[in-house]
This record gives sequence, structure tokens and C-alpha cells, in this order.
Amino acid sequence: MKKKLLSVMLVGAMVASLAACGGSSSSGGAAPAAGDSTAAAVTAGGEHTLTVSAWDHNFNIPALEAAAEDYKANVDPDFELVINEVSGSSDVETAITTGGSAGDYSQLTDIVLFQDHYIQRYVADYPDAWVPVEGADIDWSDFGEEKLSYSIIDGQHYGVPVDNGTAIFAYRVDILEEAGYTLDDVTDCTWADWIKIGEDVYNKTGKYLLSMDGEGNDLPYMMLQAEGASQWKDGEPYITENETMVQIINVIVEAVQKNALYLANNWSDYTDQTIQGDMVAGVMNGNWIIPTIEQVEENSGKWEITNIPTLNGGGGYAANGGSSLYITSNCANVDLAKDFLAKTFGGSTATYDKALTDGGVITCCISAGQSEVYQAGVDYFNGQPIYTDIVEMGTHVPVVEQNDYHYSCRSLIASAIINIAQGGASTEDALKEAEDQLRFEMGL
Amino acid sequence: MKHKSVTAKQERWGWLFLMPATILICIMSFYPIIQALFTSFKTGSSANMKWAQPIVYNYTRMFSDKLFMRSVGNTFLYLIIQVPIMLIFAILLAQLLNNRDLKFRGLFRTCVFLPCATALVSYSLIFKSLFATQGLINSILQGLHITSSNINFLGTAWTAKMVIILALIWRWTGYNMVFYLAGLQGIEYSVYEAAKIDGANGWKTFWNITVPLLRPTIIMTFIMSINGTLQLFDESVNLTAGGPANSTITMSHYIYNNSFGQGVANFGYASAMSFFVFILVAILAAINLKVGDTRD
Repeated sequence: MKKKLLSVMLVGAMVASLAACGGSSSSGGAAPAAGDSTAAAVTAGGEHTLTVSAWDHNFNIPALEAAAEDYKANVDPDFELVINEVSGSSDVETAITTGGSAGDYSQLTDIVLFQDHYIQRYVADYPDAWVPVEGADIDWSDFGEEKLSYSIIDGQHYGVPVDNGTAIFAYRVDILEEAGYTLDDVTDCTWADWIKIGEDVYNKTGKYLLSMDGEGNDLPYMMLQAEGASQWKDGEPYITENETMVQIINVIVEAVQKNALYLANNWSDYTDQTIQGDMVAGVMNGNWIIPTIEQVEENSGKWEITNIPTLNGGGGYAANGGSSLYITSNCANVDLAKDFLAKTFGGSTATYDKALTDGGVITCCISAGQSEVYQAGVDYFNGQPIYTDIVEMGTHVPVVEQNDYHYSCRSLIASAIINIAQGGASTEDALKEAEDQLRFEMGL
Repeated sequence: MKHKSVTAKQERWGWLFLMPATILICIMSFYPIIQALFTSFKTGSSANMKWAQPIVYNYTRMFSDKLFMRSVGNTFLYLIIQVPIMLIFAILLAQLLNNRDLKFRGLFRTCVFLPCATALVSYSLIFKSLFATQGLINSILQGLHITSSNINFLGTAWTAKMVIILALIWRWTGYNMVFYLAGLQGIEYSVYEAAKIDGANGWKTFWNITVPLLRPTIIMTFIMSINGTLQLFDESVNLTAGGPANSTITMSHYIYNNSFGQGVANFGYASAMSFFVFILVAILAAINLKVGDTRD
């Protein structure tokens, strides 16, 4: 009897869970189920409807919502933007590469958002997946040149920028003061001086002056760009023979050895332990790192931002990360898509102001960066008007040669740095190894 | 005559019942395997793949790929260290828990088997937080005054490898123990009693009775463990992300990176490497069967 009861319960539980699974896949439930909205999105195709894929609930999705609201209020009252929420930029990238191998792009939304470094390769590899935004009413000269350089292919504009990747160097002014320094000492300084300050700060306060994710190490790229140099030359890796590169690697290794720089094991250690866990007195990265810094409320008012040190002094400017919106060939209403992008992210103050207040998305559109919302001082950064400052800094970022193999290069250089700093490999050997492997991956 | 038709009828029904599963396996497994074989001879972006020049390009390429060779090395290191330790632990635990006089036998068996019920990703993440620089293990070591500063377990090459091996042993020992327990049930208790009467001690009984009689089970667990270790993926991805500096990356992880990581979508090369793993598994399993074959 007991056994019978148990088996009935077991079967009941299985049926219930089956029903639950079936239910969630067909009705979608309360959470924004990606599969569901894709199905709706791809088949929608109405006169006033567009679909878009994006991934960050606290960042780019509020920006898109702001744009949709703006367009609805000022252009087309019937307009509707269906946002297909995915878990990350890599989801969009996988959809494109697998769509390419199936020869079927019908699962892509009308507009997709993804990281800037890929578009050159994707237009080359999957030419029929994209529609250029040529003919849209956008004043391109109003955007930072460096940002646009990613999405111009054969003279045609493919993407409309959303956020701005301009790098900032934020410092905890209170910790600097404790060690006897001010923000002026780390502005326009050389890396050599910076390391000395870092050593002092560590000895006096126990905090590192900077941290970075050791595996996805963006420092070499940003530091090179601040020098106006690139890790690429004529489409090939330019590493061992690139003196600036070698000098920069030496700076990084020295900074690690002198406890000015801490390399975290991974991204979550970098954000959670080092930045939010109060291990550091400085953060250098694309400005999208600001919301991460702001999570620690008790440090409000203690941070300020400035430019990046360089090898020979004088402020450096760089950019890291950031994404743009691209129209796919699956879009049935290209004119609407172009008009939507032009009248929102193409320079609308209403869109950009709301994107900033709701999602912390900072524009690279120069005129939109001069609005009142942008000029307001930010309490967290001691009243500094950081948003105008960042848009202004963005105009100084030098355009350097880019390559599709950006992320492969990044991880190989990161490995080289770990091997030098930890394993005692010589800079020359480690960089040689990285360059060889990179050339191998590129099939050179 | 009539008898034969009954058999034929039964066979027909047999085939009918087998049909759905067979068709599904063909569509879901065999067709992709064959397609992957074709893909492994091609190069280029996923939208526009061409036959490689020469045709075995992807296969020769992997032998000059230092990173792939390192991933092969790592995988074999895990295999050589982890599999024997795990199987010895499993067989000893099985022997202990097979003792009829042991109280709460069921409870202990469940405890040892329980790790297998944890999802691979979850347990990897738990190990990751345990061994983090500010994790539990470091706190305990410092609390007991064994170490004075935090050890960066996952940030140093050899300790990261040890953590992966430790995690694997924790996760899979219980699983293998269950097979040994089942095997032990099949050994007559009277055999042990006879051995006892002959004056054999526990150690002798174990080596001369348990191990030989468990031979088929041992071979099976060996093959399964080798197979599983060669395809190791979740631990490498979630526990260490292949780091530091690719020192813990496994073959499957590298294959994944080449197909979906970093946007490169190098499906041809990734398929070729997958077939390399496939051939390795086949060779190792064949050797294992040969060694375990008791027939003359």
C-alpha cells in the first residue's frame, strides 16, 4: 500500500513538472522568456513594430526603452519596440555564427546589439546578414571618430553607436591623500611615476592603486591606445618588434611586482573582490565600469576621475568595450529601422538623457553630451561633472588599427603577462610565444 | 512451420518497438556525427565553408598548435593522476560499505553517492568559491595557523590543477563506488567465509578474491572514467576558466573556444579536434579491453 502511494506520488510529481515545463515554454511566464519573444518578434513584422536583441537589464535595455519612448512620443505614436532579452553579447554572436552555418538568418531580430570588435569580421564573413545604415538622417560628424571607426566598412556605416567606451581612470582621493598624494599627482603623469605612487600607496594603506582581470586583461590594449599605438600592423600582429608594446608589458609586470597593480583571477574577482571589496584605490577601464564602482554606497564622494598615465607623461586617452546597433537582413521594415535609429541614437537628447539616468549609458554623440543632464555634477564622484568630462575625453581617443582577432590577442597577451609575472619567463620569450600562437590562430 | 511464423511476428514487433529510438538516434546522433566529419575537412567562416587545401589541413594543423597540445597534456595529466586515485578510493569505500555488520549502511552509501546528484556547473562553482583567495579553505588554513597569507589556489598553475583533480575525485568517486557495490553483491558470501577458514586476512581476501572477481566491473569503470576525463569540460570552464594562462584548459574546452568562444566560429578546426578526441577514446578503450581480456 505504502509503495503504491509512493509511486503514485512520483508519477504525479513527474506529470506536474512536465506540465510546468510545457507551460513555461508555450506561455512565457512572467519573466521575459527569450524563446517566446523571439518567436513573436520574428513573425511580427508590423508597419510600426521593430524587434531588437540586447542583454543588460541595468544598462543597454533601459537605453533602448528610452529610445522607444522617445520615438513613440515624438515621431510615431503607434511605434512599438519589442526587446528580445538575451543573456549576453555572446548570445547574439553565437546566433550570427550559427545562423551563418545554417544559411538561415530568420532567427535574428530586426536590429541586434553586440560588441564593436566583431562587426568588421562579421560583415566580411556573413555579408548577407547585414543592411548598412546608409541614407539614414544622421550627422556622423557629431560622433567620436574612434567609436565610428569600428563600424565603417568600405566607407559604409553599418552601426549606430549606443554607448561610449572611453576609458577613465578613477581614483579614491581619500586613499591618495592618506598616502600623501592628490589627484593632480596622477593626472598627466608617467607610468614610472605612477608605479612609485602605487608602491607608496600600498606600503602606507595596504591598497593596490589598480586592479585588472588577469585572464581578460584589457590593460595592454588601453595603455597602447593611450600612446596612439596598436598591437596590429597591416593586419598582422605587431608585438615582439613593437617597442611601445614591450615597454608597456614591462610596466605592467613591474607594477605587479611592486604591488601597485593586482591581477585578479577572473572577471567576478575583479569586480566583486577588488573593486567592491575595497582592495584598490583606483580603477581603470571603459566608463561602463562606473555602475560597478557605484555599488559601494559608503564610498560616495570619495572617487574622482582623470585621464590615463602614459610612458612619457601627458594625459592619455583610450577606449575599451562598448557596443553598437546593427540592422540585420531579416528586418522587413528597413526604412523604419533606419528612421528609428536616426531619430533616437542618432542624436536625440531625450533618448540619451533618459538612457543616462535610467541605465548609466554614456553617449559618444558630442552634441547630446552637452545637455543639462550631462552637465550636472555627480555626487558619487565628489560633484565632478563626469559625464560631460567623459564625452569630452572621448573626442581625444586616437584611432588605432583594429583586428577581428582582438579577443584572441587579448587572452594570449594576458597569458604572457601571467607567465612573466608569476613563472619568471622572460618578456621576450613570453611575447614571442604569444605572437607565434596568434599568428598560428590567424593562419599566417 | 507455424512456430516460425510466430517468431517472425515477434521479430516484427521487436523491430517496431525499436524503431522510434533507432530513428531518433540516427537523426540526433549519427547524422550530426557524419556531418561533423565532413565539416572537419573544411575551412572558412561558418557561412562559407570550403574544402580544405590539402584536405587533411585541419588534422595536420592541430599537431603544430601549441595550445591544443597543452590542452592534450593537461587532460592526460588529469587522467593519469585522477582516475587511479578515484577508482582505488571507490573500491575501498565499496568494500567498507559492503560489510554486513555496518550500521547505517544505507545512510553512508547515500552520503558517498550524493555528490553525483549535484549538477556539474553547481559543484564547479562551489569549488571555485571554496578555493577563492578569500574563500573558506584559505580562512580555515589561516584560522589553524597553517598559512599566514591567502594562497591564490586558482591563480597558480599547479594548485589550480590540483583543485580540479580534487573536485573530480569528490564528484565521481561515489558514482564508481555504486558499480563496485553492485559487483560485490554478485560475489557469494561463502567465498569469503571459505577464505576466512583458510586463514586469509582482510588484505589478502581483498587482493585475491575481491579484485579478480570484480575484474569486469573494474574494466568498465576504467573505460567510463577515461572516456569521461577525455571529454572533461565543465570543470575547466567553470572552475578555472582554463586559467591561469591556459594552464588548466582541457581539450573539450579548447574545442569549445574554437567554435563559440571569442567569436571566431572556427567550426572546421573544432570538428577535426573533436575527431582526434574520438579516436583517442577508441584507442584507449581498445587497449583497456585487451589488457582486461582473460581469455588466452
